[in-house]
Amino acid sequence: MLEVTSLYKSYRNHKVLSGVSLTASPGECVGIIGSNGCGKTTLLSILAGAVRADKGSIRFRGREAVGHAKVFYEEAAYVPQENPLMEELTVKDNLSLWYQGSRARMEEDLKTGAAAMLGIGEMLKKPVRTLSGGMKKRLSIACALSNHGSVLILDEPGAALDLECKAEIRSYLEKYRKEGGTILLTSHELPELSLCTAMYVLKKGVLQRIDEGLKEQELIEIFRKE
Amino acid sequence: MPMFLIFWKLELKRAYQRFPQMFAGATALLFLAGAVALLAGRALYGDAAAGRIAVGVVLPKEDAVARQMISMVSSLDSVKSMCDFEYVEQEEGIRGLMHGELSAVMDVPEGLIQGIMNGSNPAVRILMPKNAWLESRIFQELTRAGAEILAASQAGIYAGNEMYLSSGRDGEIPELERDLNQLFLSYSLPREDYFQHRQVSATGDVPILVFYGISAYVLFLLLLAIPVSGYLTPIKPVMRQKLTLAGIGSISRTAGRIGGLASLLFTISLILGLALTGMLGPAEKWKLAAVLFLLLICLAVSAFVVLIYQAAGTLLGGIMLLFLTVTAQHFVAGGFLPSVFLPDGLNRMALAMPSAILMDGVKLMLAGQWSVFAAGKLFLLFSGGFLGTVMLEKWEERKGL
Repeated sequence: MLEVTSLYKSYRNHKVLSGVSLTASPGECVGIIGSNGCGKTTLLSILAGAVRADKGSIRFRGREAVGHAKVFYEEAAYVPQENPLMEELTVKDNLSLWYQGSRARMEEDLKTGAAAMLGIGEMLKKPVRTLSGGMKKRLSIACALSNHGSVLILDEPGAALDLECKAEIRSYLEKYRKEGGTILLTSHELPELSLCTAMYVLKKGVLQRIDEGLKEQELIEIFRKE
Repeated sequence: MPMFLIFWKLELKRAYQRFPQMFAGATALLFLAGAVALLAGRALYGDAAAGRIAVGVVLPKEDAVARQMISMVSSLDSVKSMCDFEYVEQEEGIRGLMHGELSAVMDVPEGLIQGIMNGSNPAVRILMPKNAWLESRIFQELTRAGAEILAASQAGIYAGNEMYLSSGRDGEIPELERDLNQLFLSYSLPREDYFQHRQVSATGDVPILVFYGISAYVLFLLLLAIPVSGYLTPIKPVMRQKLTLAGIGSISRTAGRIGGLASLLFTISLILGLALTGMLGPAEKWKLAAVLFLLLICLAVSAFVVLIYQAAGTLLGGIMLLFLTVTAQHFVAGGFLPSVFLPDGLNRMALAMPSAILMDGVKLMLAGQWSVFAAGKLFLLFSGGFLGTVMLEKWEERKGL
């Protein structure tokens, strides 16, 4: 369960977030849309603990995270748009970094956890640089979920992937959500947004709840509205 | 296991995956560095400069004492080994300079010897051509050294005079001066009497071959980073963000990168050392001081190189900046041409150059001697590179670069 209340963030005189609030429960997929540069990545970075908010509260499963880096580290499974992987090393090496060398925990997840669901076991010995875009994204998600965080935060998960990989990632995310996971994602793509059970638009630093399943033209109209 | 240790282990693994590239690069660089050292050696002591320095001497007419003094000077070991003196008229000397037949002309004033004796010290004018800078500089060094010896002799004579005057033995002064003159003269001819067997060389306290070997090894270590540039480029912002979240900050990240490169350089140096001992016959036993110096040298080189790549930001930029910085500072440090032959301004900067610090370290490593001062300078170079990289990383992180 994620509860965000009155989040503010400014860069010098530029207000990026002006009182953002939202909630996401287990089994929910919350989508955040908005025009380029509206602050989606900043919001996700704040929710992941990578950027500090000026004001506001972020609670994961009731634990206040603002000012407590450990809570962010334990609860947020953050997947940035680019893959945070060591390309020269194998899949197993990359996993071992995020599992902090705990082989037992890693092997358990490879058998029954998120890593198993994402099909990571089949590519353990491959160097990351030889993987396809979709495989790299799956590995990034598996690395992010190594902390068994309560919320999976994804910044445009389908960006720079081909159609087949996008579909592959969508099916994994759908499976993860159905198994009770909480997902928060930003996207510009309708098929990805179709996964969402709740949708928000970020405009002028404020989140506004909108109906799910809106058509492309309707979304464009919302972006354009003052 | 702490997260930073796992990260360092993976950084080492990442570094050693580049070992084949580094080994191939090392082989190519060895040939290149050897060629550079050979060419520099030829430029300094080869055909162009191995020819002796021809010096024209213009003497005042009928000054037999001055002629005798110049004859003595020309028989000094350091002068005799490099210079040929020939007596010329002033116009003839200037013509010789202009035609490149003479490297310098010494215009001896009238009453030079008397002036030295009575302390008025008339100046000997040395004329040098503009373009024969190497020979001219060697001769300049010789005349400067000669002037210093003369000044020391005079100081000795004046000290004797003063002592005799203060003790009321004024009458014995001429005898004292005669004795002292004889003593100074007897010592100034066979210089080894007071220099013993010390070898005087433009390359300092090591032979030319060893000097260029050390210089080539330092250049080799600094440029050896180029084949592994991919490992040295700054970490991607997303990876940096994730690592920071996991508690691996810029200090751990920088330490990992520097450690990875240093271990590669250490391994290559060991292989090179073993190969050379195999080729050149049994070497002295490895000493702890030598190993410690090698470790410090590899760490200092790595920190300096990583800082350059961090400042450049990109792979290509890093390669270009490394090449330019390394060659420029190696030149100023006197790695290509001994610093004694460089202009005074550069000469003063030489000691602060990374190559000069590293070359001092290599000298001591080869000698197997420990020096806190040299080790301290290497540590300072390492710390500068390390802290510079950490600060740049933190700045980039703050700016979101």
